[in-house]
Amino acid sequence: MLIALAAVPILIAVAVKLSSRPATPGRGPLFLDRITQNGLFVAVTALVVCVPLFLPLTIGVVAGDTIAGEANLGTLRYLLLAPAGRIRLLLVKYAGTIAFCCAATATVAASGALAGVVLFPVGPVTLLSGDTVSVGESALRTMLIAAYITVSLMGLGAIGLLISTFTDAPVGAMAATIVLSVTSQVLDNLPQLDWLHPWLFSHHWLGFADLLRQPIAWTSFGENALLQSAYIAVCGAAAYAKFLNKDVLS
Amino acid sequence: MTRARQRWLPALLISLVFGMAVLFGAVQAGATGSLPPKTADEVLAMIAHTQVRELSGTLEQTAELGLPGITAAGPGVAPGAVSAVEFLTGSHTARVYVDGPSKARLQILDRMAERDLVLNGGDAWFYNSSDNSATHWSIPPSLMTAPTESREAAPPRPGLPTPEALASRFLAAIDASTEVSVGGSSSVAGRSAYRLLLNPRSAATLVDSVAIDVDSQTGLPLGVEVRANGQSEPAYALAYTRLDLAAPDASLFDFVPPQGATVNEKVVPASPVPSRPLPAPSGPADQPHPGQPHDGATVIGSGWDAVISLPAGTAPAGLLTSPQLAQALQPVSGGHALTTSLISVLLLDDGRIYAGLVPVERLESAALQSNVPAE
Repeated sequence: MLIALAAVPILIAVAVKLSSRPATPGRGPLFLDRITQNGLFVAVTALVVCVPLFLPLTIGVVAGDTIAGEANLGTLRYLLLAPAGRIRLLLVKYAGTIAFCCAATATVAASGALAGVVLFPVGPVTLLSGDTVSVGESALRTMLIAAYITVSLMGLGAIGLLISTFTDAPVGAMAATIVLSVTSQVLDNLPQLDWLHPWLFSHHWLGFADLLRQPIAWTSFGENALLQSAYIAVCGAAAYAKFLNKDVLS
Repeated sequence: MTRARQRWLPALLISLVFGMAVLFGAVQAGATGSLPPKTADEVLAMIAHTQVRELSGTLEQTAELGLPGITAAGPGVAPGAVSAVEFLTGSHTARVYVDGPSKARLQILDRMAERDLVLNGGDAWFYNSSDNSATHWSIPPSLMTAPTESREAAPPRPGLPTPEALASRFLAAIDASTEVSVGGSSSVAGRSAYRLLLNPRSAATLVDSVAIDVDSQTGLPLGVEVRANGQSEPAYALAYTRLDLAAPDASLFDFVPPQGATVNEKVVPASPVPSRPLPAPSGPADQPHPGQPHDGATVIGSGWDAVISLPAGTAPAGLLTSPQLAQALQPVSGGHALTTSLISVLLLDDGRIYAGLVPVERLESAALQSNVPAE
């Protein structure tokens, strides 16, 4: 899965490199038109492309597999035979999901940066505000964006963990998690439901653009972190209750 | 079984805690401290004597005028055409930085994009990130030095659409047709404020009331809220959500157009500086106000129910053909009308335009009356 994610920025970079026409400014994903001028934009463009679907897809697969996958393989029983306790198993499984969130975003960012450096010239980066920052600071900002997206995905990971405790069919848990993430994004685009928007876990997913302003607008980072931690706490507690009450038969 | 149920307790408790936190937060945000009572005249004097020359803050603007949603925040939005129409719908967030009378920066935070206006001495820059274009105005030094005396008393940046600028527009229009009162205290951007209420005495206007939140410490207007008759939520609101009265970082005002951006050079002609060249998106304030007629415009009546009329040919070219406007227009006898909960605009087929903070029927009768002497 990480390889598939790594392929996305490379695909973008190669496609832009091969196309003879320069991209029209303002069309397509953010910064697509600037890639030819500065390779460092590949990483950001790739992250923008991956956030709505590819990244939630992989997180859904990993998080949905956590408990249900073990139950499906019949290994959950053996895991619980060890004197570690169910809470600890749940925590370890969630830690694994978080580790995958970090790895997934880091993979996209790193392969994007690499593809950009190889295929395009590299120079100082223009921010959304029109200010220009050095290569070093832009790398720092790309890392911040990766961190932002990792935090964004942690809430979805907790939801996947919760769903995973309800079923023994990992495919069902994965599908449900992914469907939830898509549903949440669809609801976020309906203006009639704007009272609901601040509570959707995907509401701040694209808010990382605030990290590309000068000075950085930290409010969206804070609000996102707060919202995701609320989802983690609620879903984690519910997963704990469900998992401790679960009759592990397989 | 009881043990099994107990295990759901943490999940329930955590949900409850978050629910309480949200409720408590909402209650606290609405809470207002007690301020020493002041009369309307005292609050007006506070506004007039405000000494704030430096600030950085975040502005939140919402408009509920009953217009269909229009998104004009795309590429190709020229600075002059930062359409007033766009700022009449939905909500916008912007950051404002002001340092003295000659340095200011406005950042309109769009989704995944940003539009910037930077004023630094004799230079004004507009940058649009969605099509990577920049516009540069050189302001002749004669214009920069001439109005300094009058600026002493004026707000720090007349060109920027801050609550202060909007409030001064409304306050400048106060006359016998307005009832001014102090409506208790409020809390804006974490600061306690006096709420100054302007109520039109006329029943012919669409405006129900205008509320201006004035900072209790500095006298700086922190928010403006315009309510329309027969609408529960404010028709137009502009307020700080965050405000810091320290001087912003000086490097913010040094704008250099990024590499690869298309740059348009323009020179401001030697005419009065005010907001003309600046994309001042301030909603209703863009509406010609009584007592401030534009070129060739005549004002019919006075006070809140005044109607402004523009002769044929004075409408900005391309305005009437813009598809965004065409969406919102409704056909009426002899032309088209734009009706919102706050403003009505009547565009006659012969090119004349009537506008006002009044129902469209009043515009039609005004148009009829001015027809009579012409014939």
